[in-house]
Amino acid sequence: MKKFLALLLALCMIFSLAACGGSTESAAPESSAPSSTAPEGDTVDLVLWTYPVGTLADNLDGVIAAFNEVHPEINISYELLDYQNGDTKVTSAIQGGTAPDLIFEGPERLVGNWGRNGLMVDLADLWAEDAAGDISTGVAEASQLDGAYYMYPLSVTAHSMAINYEAFEAAGALQYIDEETRTWTTDDFVAAMAAVRDAIDAGTINVITPGIVYCGAQGGDQGTRALVNNLYSGYFTQEDGTAYTADSEENIKALELLKTMVDDGSLDANLSFAAADELQAFANQTCAVTFCWNYSNYVSYAEQTQFTPFVMAFPSDDGVPELEMGMYGFGIFDNGDDAKVEAAKEFIRFVCNDADTAAECIRYTGFFPVHSDMGDVYEGTDEAELKEPFALMSTYLGRFYNLTDGWTEQCALWWPMLQQIFSGTDIQTAVTDYVTQANANIG
Amino acid sequence: MAQTTVAAPAERKPKKPKRSQFSGMSKALVRRETISAYLFLLPSLVFFIGFVVVPMVICVVYSFMEYSMKGIEGFAGFDNYIRMFQDKTFIRSFWNTVFIVVVAVPTVTAFSLWVSSAIYKMKAFTRSFFRCVFYLPVVTGTVAVTVVWKWIFNAYYGILNQVAGTTGFDWLGNEKTAIWCIIMILFTTSIGQPIVLYVAALGNVDKSLIEAAEVDGATNFQVFWKIKWPQIMPTTLYILVITTINSFQCFALIQLLTSGGPNSSTTTIMYYIFDMVYKFNDFGYANAMGVILALIIAVFSALQFRITKSN
Amino acid sequence: MKSKLSGGSVGYKIFTVIVLILLALFFIFPLYWIVTGSFKDAIAISSRTPVWFPTQFVLDNYEKLFARPALRWLLNTVVMAVSAMLLTCLTASLAGYALAKKRFYGRGILFTIIICAMALPKQVIVIPLLQEMRTLGLADTLLAVILPTVGWPFGVFLMKQFSETIPTEILEAARVDGAGEIRTFATIVFPMIKPGVGALAIFTFVNSWNDYFLQLIMLTSKEKLTISVGIAQMQGEMSSDFGLIMAGATLAAIPIVAVFIAFQKYFTQGISMGAVKG
Repeated sequence: MKKFLALLLALCMIFSLAACGGSTESAAPESSAPSSTAPEGDTVDLVLWTYPVGTLADNLDGVIAAFNEVHPEINISYELLDYQNGDTKVTSAIQGGTAPDLIFEGPERLVGNWGRNGLMVDLADLWAEDAAGDISTGVAEASQLDGAYYMYPLSVTAHSMAINYEAFEAAGALQYIDEETRTWTTDDFVAAMAAVRDAIDAGTINVITPGIVYCGAQGGDQGTRALVNNLYSGYFTQEDGTAYTADSEENIKALELLKTMVDDGSLDANLSFAAADELQAFANQTCAVTFCWNYSNYVSYAEQTQFTPFVMAFPSDDGVPELEMGMYGFGIFDNGDDAKVEAAKEFIRFVCNDADTAAECIRYTGFFPVHSDMGDVYEGTDEAELKEPFALMSTYLGRFYNLTDGWTEQCALWWPMLQQIFSGTDIQTAVTDYVTQANANIG
Repeated sequence: MAQTTVAAPAERKPKKPKRSQFSGMSKALVRRETISAYLFLLPSLVFFIGFVVVPMVICVVYSFMEYSMKGIEGFAGFDNYIRMFQDKTFIRSFWNTVFIVVVAVPTVTAFSLWVSSAIYKMKAFTRSFFRCVFYLPVVTGTVAVTVVWKWIFNAYYGILNQVAGTTGFDWLGNEKTAIWCIIMILFTTSIGQPIVLYVAALGNVDKSLIEAAEVDGATNFQVFWKIKWPQIMPTTLYILVITTINSFQCFALIQLLTSGGPNSSTTTIMYYIFDMVYKFNDFGYANAMGVILALIIAVFSALQFRITKSN
Repeated sequence: MKSKLSGGSVGYKIFTVIVLILLALFFIFPLYWIVTGSFKDAIAISSRTPVWFPTQFVLDNYEKLFARPALRWLLNTVVMAVSAMLLTCLTASLAGYALAKKRFYGRGILFTIIICAMALPKQVIVIPLLQEMRTLGLADTLLAVILPTVGWPFGVFLMKQFSETIPTEILEAARVDGAGEIRTFATIVFPMIKPGVGALAIFTFVNSWNDYFLQLIMLTSKEKLTISVGIAQMQGEMSSDFGLIMAGATLAAIPIVAVFIAFQKYFTQGISMGAVKG
C-alpha cells in the first residue's frame, strides 16, 4: 500500500512537471497562433522551416541576428527539416493547421506541390520589385505556376556526375573524357566504363564495380533521369508539359544501352540502393563514378573521400549535355495573416536581395546566385577554385520539367520502372506502362 | 480454470452474454459492480476516449470524404472503399502483408515460448542476461538498427555475402529474398516483449500442480501441455494479438530498407497507406485503407480469441 | 525426479545452451556495431572492409552530438517516457482489473472497441490527433505525445490478461471480509499483478522512447524535440552521418537499458511470489 501511494505521488509530481514544462513552453506558439487578432503589438513572430541545403541551416542564427538589426520587430524562430521525414512533417502540419510561415526548399515542393494546391502566397510583388530583371527566364519559369510566383529563389545548381579521377587514370580511361569542358560522348562513356571494368578484372584498380545505376528508392532520381535523357539527347517530357516521354525512341535506346552495359559488367544495376547508398559506395571506392553529384554532396563526403572526385557532365551522343537544375528559395504559407506575410517578405528581401547577406547565404547553400549581376560570389574565397567545375556545370543547364503536372506521381513510378527493366521485364512494356500511368495524372 | 470461464463472456456478442455474465448476481450487486467497474475504468477512459476514440471517429468520417492537400472537397460515399478492390497495388500489398503476418506471428510466438521455457529456470543472473539480450534490438531504435542491417545486406561488401559465400548477391534487391530480410529483422525486434512476458508467466505457474503431476509420473511434455500451457494462455493470447498487430503494421523497416521494392515485393498495406498520405496526399483513400486494415486486424484478433478459447 | 524438474536430457540441455549463446551473439551484434561505430572516424565507419574494433577511439561524433541540444532532447525524452509510463501503469492496471474481474454493462462492447482501436494504424490517426492537439493548444508540447500514448489501449489489454490469473475466490473472500474496492485493489490485486505492471512499465517506457513517428508530428521546436526525432533528423537524402547516428543511438540506449535492468527486480519478485503462493 505504501509503495502504491509512493508511486501515485511520484506520478503526480512527474505529471505536473510535464504539464508545467508543456504549458510554459506552449506559451510561444500560442502567442504566434492568434496574433492575427492582435497586430497592435507591432512585433511579428515568424516560424521558418528549412530543408537541409548546404550549411545554411547551421548558419541561420547569424543571418537572423543580422536581419534583426534592421528589423528588430520581427522575431524569427527556425526549425530544421530533413529529407527523410520533412514531407511527413509538413503535410501533417498543413492538415493539422500548424504550418510554418516561411519555408526554404525547391520548386518541386514549393510550387509544384503546395503552390499548386493553393497553400502558398503569390510573391509576384517581390518579383516585380526586382527591377534589374537579372534572374534568368529558366529560374523565373521554375518559380511560377500559371502566372503566380510561389517561390523566391536564392541559389541554383546543376546536378551532374563525378568520376574517381585516380581510378580512371589507372584504368587508362581518361582518354575518353574532355577534361577541359568536362563532357564526354555516349561512345566515350561506354568505352571508359569498359576500360574501368577491364582494369577491375585485371586487378589494376581496387574498385568493385565501374558504376551503379541505383533504383531502390526515389532519393536522387534526378541522376537516373539525367543519365537516361542525355545518352541519346531525349527529353523527359514534351516541351509543353502535356506528356511524359520516357517511351520516346531516344529514351528507349538509352535504356537499352544501360541494360547492355549492365549485362556486360561495365555498369551494375542495384535494386536496393538509393542515391545516398550509391554516393557512399562512390566515396569508399566500391564504384568509380556517381550519377548524383553537386557541391553539397561533395562537402558531405569530403571527409571520407580518399581520391579526387572529378566533376563531369552526363554523357551525351552529341557531346552537348543538358543538366537538371537544382534550385532553392523561399515560399510563404498562406496562414491568413497579412502582417506575417509582409514580415516574411521582408525577410526574403533581406536574405535574397541584400547584396552582402545574399552572397553569404548563397555561399552557405554551396550553390550559385540566381541574380546574374551578383557575379561570382566565391571570388576571393578559399572555395573559389573548388567551385569552378560546379560553376561550369551550371552553364549546361537544360529544360526544367519538374513542374509538369503529376510530377509527384511520376517520381513514385520512375524507380519501380527501372527496377522492372533491370530485373528482366521487357523495356518497351515497362516504359509504356510507366508512361501510361504517369500521363494519367496530367490535367 | 477460473480465468477461462471469466474471460469467455467478453468475446461473445454483447447482446447475449448478459445472461451468463450476470448469472447468480442480484440486481443490486450488478448495479454496484457496474458503478465500481466504471470508476476503475474512468481514468483510463478519459485518455482512451479523448485521444484515441475521438481521432479514430474522425478517421472513419474522413474515409468517406474526398480529402486532398486542398482540404475536404466533398462527400465520397463508398468510393474510397470501392476503389481499394480495383487497386492492384493495394491487393498486392494486402497479400504481402498477410504473408508477413502468417510467417512472423507463429515463429515469434513459438520461438519466444521456447526461449522462455529454456531460460526461466536458469539462475537469476543468466535469466536476466538472456532476457536483456533478446530485448536489445527493441531498445536500440529503428533508425540505427536499420543502418547496421543495410550494411550487413550490402551487395558489394556486406558481411552476409561473406558468411553465405555468395558474391555480389543483393539480398534486399531481389524479389525473392527482400521480404525474408524484412521478416527476419521484424523477428529480431519482435521477440523481446514476448520473452519478458512468457518468463513472467511461466514463473507464475502454480508449482504445486507441477509437482503433483510429476509425482503421478507425468512426462515433461505432459506437464507442459496439461498444466503450464493452460495457465499461460492469457499471456499467449496477448502475445498473439500484439504480434499480429505489429506485423500488420510493419512499416519503418520497409521505409528505411526497401521503400516497398523491388517490384513491390515488400509493399505492405501500412507502407502503401503512408505513401498515400505523405506522397500522394490522398487522405480520404488513405483513411479508408486504414479503416479496412483495422477491420482485418480485428477479424484476425477475433479468430485468435476463438481459437485460444476453444483450446 | 530432479532431472525431470530441471527439464529433459543432458544432450538437449547442451543443445539449448549452445543455440541460446549463438542467438545471443546474433542479437548483441547490432548494438555492438552501433556502440563501437560511434567511436570510429568517417573513413573507418564507411570502410569496405569491416573494422571490427575501432583502432583509434575518436570522440568527434560525440562532440558533434553534444553541439546539438542532445542532452535537452534526452531530458525531454525522459520526462515524456516516465510520465507516460507512470500514467499508463496506473490507469491500465485499474482498468485491466475491472475488465477482467468485474461484470458490468457494456463490458463486451468496450473490449471490442479497445481491440479495434489498437488495430488502427497510427500513421492514419495522427492527422486528426494533431488537429485535436492544436485545438487544445497542446501542439508542440510534450503533453501532445504523452496523452495519446497513455490513451493507447495496449496497457489495458495487457493488464486485463494479467488480472485474469487472479483467482476469483480470493476477491470473493475479501468482499466477504468487508474490504472496500480500493482496499481490495491495493492490497490484493495490485501485488498479484505486479510482475505485469513491471512488464507494462518497461514496455511503455521503451515504446514511447522509440515511437519517433508520433513525436515527429507533434513536436517542432528544436528545444522540445526528443532524442529519437533528433536521431531521425540526422539522416540526409544524399548522405547520412552514420557516426553521428550511432553516437545518438548509443546515448539513447543507455537510459533504456538502465531502466530495463532496474525493472528486472519486479519480474523476479513476481516469480518468487508465484513460488510462495504455490
